[in-house]
Amino acid sequence: MSETTPETEARRLATEARDRVRFEEDALALADQVYRVARHLVGSREEAEDLMQEAYARAFRSWRSFRPGTNLRAWLLRILTNLNIDRGRRLQRTPGLEPLEEGDYFLYNRLEESTPDASDEERVVERLSQDSVVSALSAVPHDFRDVVVLVDIGDFSYADAAQILDIPIGTVMSRLHRGRRVLKQQLAEEAVGTA
Amino acid sequence: MTSFADDPCAACEELLQPFLDRELNETERAQAEEHLALCSYCRKRYRFEEHLRRYVRQAVVAEPMPPELKARLAELRTPLL
Repeated sequence: MSETTPETEARRLATEARDRVRFEEDALALADQVYRVARHLVGSREEAEDLMQEAYARAFRSWRSFRPGTNLRAWLLRILTNLNIDRGRRLQRTPGLEPLEEGDYFLYNRLEESTPDASDEERVVERLSQDSVVSALSAVPHDFRDVVVLVDIGDFSYADAAQILDIPIGTVMSRLHRGRRVLKQQLAEEAVGTA
Repeated sequence: MTSFADDPCAACEELLQPFLDRELNETERAQAEEHLALCSYCRKRYRFEEHLRRYVRQAVVAEPMPPELKARLAELRTPLL
């Protein structure tokens, strides 16, 4: 059995300091991507900035629990979404469970009727203003929005989103489905309503 | 779930989201691709959905992280000494 000498202890501390610095640098390099998701999980820029600072402070404190070689971006977002839940922001709105009558094609069908050159799908999309997309997304109830933001903006797989939010993959799929439908309903109302 | 034999366009519509998310199994993906090759109605709506996703992503990434926030995050690092 090896004994702990001052030299081995110093080496251990040096290795740990090096690992910690590397972890912090890697985490900071991902901050833009984490912020992009955080910004749309909460309602305002100020809330997103607070949440980022809390999440990074916690991540730096608990860096030892990160397993190198696993997905650091998903790990950071798990901390961030847990903090968001702790702060009770999800309680602002409860997702409705009413059935969704219309299928996935309905936004195109609604826009197509009022677009002069509907043969070009890109032009049909451009009937929507970028501002309307941002406001439609913020109108999606929190539980659904978390999943839409992680998958559509954060580019996470269903399995990663399930791990980040600590929910079953089937729940990710149903929330994603509903969240995207709500988003499309909002977009349709805005675009066709003002046509 | 609608089958391709009963109503191919409705079945294809149900696969739209997992298709674009690359979460279909091989059989489902092959069924959707086979139908899309033949059906311009569904093809148009799949293409629209792809454009819509890109458009949503562009709209929301237009706002970058404020540089002062990045500086504040860097200050949260553990001091070396």
